Amino acid sequence: MAVGVLIALGESLSPGTYTDVRFTWLHLPAPPPGHPGAFPNGFSLVMGTLVDPLSALMLVVVTVVGFLVMLYSIEYMRKERGLPRYYAELSLFLAAMNGLVLADNLLEFFLFWELVGLCSYFLIGFHYERPAAASAAKEAFLVTRVGDVMFLLGIFLYFAVYGAKGPGLGWAASGFLFVQGNHAFLAGVPAGNPTLLTVAGIMILGGAAGKSAQFPLDVWLPDAMEGPTTVSALIHAATMVAAGVYLLAVTSVFLGFTAFDSLLIVALGGITTFFAATMAVVQPDIKRVIAYSTISQLGYMVLAVGAGFTMVGLYHLFTHAFFKALLFLAAGAVIHAVGTQDLFRMGGLRKRMPLTAAAFAIGGLALAGIPPFAGFWSKDDLLAGVYSTLGSHPAYWPFFLLAFATVFLTGYYIFRAWFLAFSGEPRDPSLHAGHEGPWEMTVPLVILSALAVVAGLFVYLPGFQALLLHGGGVAGIPPVYGTTQLLLSAVGVSLAGGGILVAWALWGSGRIVPTPSAAPAAGMRRVLLARYGIKSAYDWLGATGVYTVARAADFFDRFVIDGAVHGFERAFGDLSERMRRIQTGLVSDYASYVVGGLLVVAALLLVVAPYLVGRFGGG
Amino acid sequence: MTALPLGGFLALSSALLGVGLFGILTRRNFVLLLIAIEIAMNAAILNFVYFAAFAPVPALGLTGQEIAVVLIGFAATEVAVGLAIVLALHRLRGSINVAQATDLNG
Repeated sequence: MAVGVLIALGESLSPGTYTDVRFTWLHLPAPPPGHPGAFPNGFSLVMGTLVDPLSALMLVVVTVVGFLVMLYSIEYMRKERGLPRYYAELSLFLAAMNGLVLADNLLEFFLFWELVGLCSYFLIGFHYERPAAASAAKEAFLVTRVGDVMFLLGIFLYFAVYGAKGPGLGWAASGFLFVQGNHAFLAGVPAGNPTLLTVAGIMILGGAAGKSAQFPLDVWLPDAMEGPTTVSALIHAATMVAAGVYLLAVTSVFLGFTAFDSLLIVALGGITTFFAATMAVVQPDIKRVIAYSTISQLGYMVLAVGAGFTMVGLYHLFTHAFFKALLFLAAGAVIHAVGTQDLFRMGGLRKRMPLTAAAFAIGGLALAGIPPFAGFWSKDDLLAGVYSTLGSHPAYWPFFLLAFATVFLTGYYIFRAWFLAFSGEPRDPSLHAGHEGPWEMTVPLVILSALAVVAGLFVYLPGFQALLLHGGGVAGIPPVYGTTQLLLSAVGVSLAGGGILVAWALWGSGRIVPTPSAAPAAGMRRVLLARYGIKSAYDWLGATGVYTVARAADFFDRFVIDGAVHGFERAFGDLSERMRRIQTGLVSDYASYVVGGLLVVAALLLVVAPYLVGRFGGG
Repeated sequence: MTALPLGGFLALSSALLGVGLFGILTRRNFVLLLIAIEIAMNAAILNFVYFAAFAPVPALGLTGQEIAVVLIGFAATEVAVGLAIVLALHRLRGSINVAQATDLNG
């Protein structure tokens, strides 16, 4: 952690790009003159590190949240079995995540990307003896795999477009894509095929959507809550799922997206933001509420990156990592104390767990975007940034409005969870009497609470500002708060406040008995709980589509391949069955075979051989 | 003495071979089978003797006669082994009919 923070500090003092190529996998020297070939400047694949403002920002998130989650795990996981496995996987994850953040080319990035995906699979399935956890792990692995394949295709396409064209030193010396591949560098490169570039951008977006659980690859993240809460906080809130956004940011900074791709990214972000928030509104499971909120917030970041405000997106990623990890760890403390994740069975926990209640409230306020908490600053900048692009890109309007509407939903769903869990009276006497955890659990909560309060204000530190301003190269944060921005902020804050008020009116004031069936709009609830049927559609695809293919393959295997094999077997079986009849055991028969053979040899010698000699000439 | 043609002698030994083979293929009595084998074998030995007699160089003819003598020795050995088998078979089955000794059928 200390190293990560130090690197970030150094980066904030002198922003720039530092690289260090550690070793070369593969080196193709430049061909001799007159033989240009596919790589006129030669080509090499390297593993290296790259520290720039982007990665410095991510590094802080990964190391700080990683450290706090490790600390928290000591108590939270104390009673679990298989702890060596847990810590080994968590450490592998942190190593891979740091590698991903520091990778200096897309291929290395992809390697670590796969590694964090693998760790995510391991850790979701930590309770592998529970069928739900095992199937959630599998689901996460398979769904992100769809994105990973697209990402790999995207790398290939970018390579096809740029890999062989780079002038001289750049590509050959640095591996492909990151180091020298910023906009200024690309200005010297012959323009790539726009269609190929668009497709490559879509593929990269697909990879990011898989990892960051964006629509329509979002189904795995809520189910990933089967893993331990610590894992949810670290991997599925703060770091790994943010890797998709980070990929988009890195790609937009170093390679740039075409206009169509940008629109697509904005659309995906806006849609995901809104629909994930609507699904969070009805969840009875405290962790799933936060999971949907993660998807929704990731949608914001994707939206910002698509609109060109890369560093604002990363800024939101930065603050989000802290308050979302805080929310998860606070939820974890609740689950640890009462032993259930069902919001409707909790209630009244505020009195017994005041610190956790306060931490969850701070996280909720930060998430909802109430000043002066962290989420307000980043979300406000983000929305203002997107708003400033609307003039030149009117097509962004609907997605901006969706994102704005989500502010209201965010305030509502997170405080619905808070009121259900912490206010009122205990509803289920069968639960354990909750109490605060020991210091290993409370210290991370306190630190993260502090960060959730002040992380947004970091933007007023000159060093941090420098990070944000130098990171994008193309677009920093909206620097001045004009009347329009202030108005936007006011609307946003009142929307969030309105959401919180509605949550209080429905769940906190005691007017409505907090049971699932007491919720209004039952039909809408069913649709939302069914996640708009997307998961069922995937299940249908898996059950019917894949099953049909599997049936066809099975038929082919059984009747064509096995048929051939068994056919041979039967043919030779019949043949040998017939052949054994001649083994009578009667010496006379054997003698007749000998005589027969003799006659054949004689015939060969006396008739066939002379004929052949006469026909073809003999020697 | 008027030399008979070689073809006549060969016809004789071929006829002997035919008789021997016929016996081998048709007899079921082991002793008769052995006798038939002897007849067929003697046809081969006779051939050696004929060719020795008709050899253009007398020294080559000696070789043919030597082989004929050795083969007669072989035939005797073979009969000894064959008769031993006949005895063993008779002791085992009380019969020397080869049609009944088919334990090795497939």
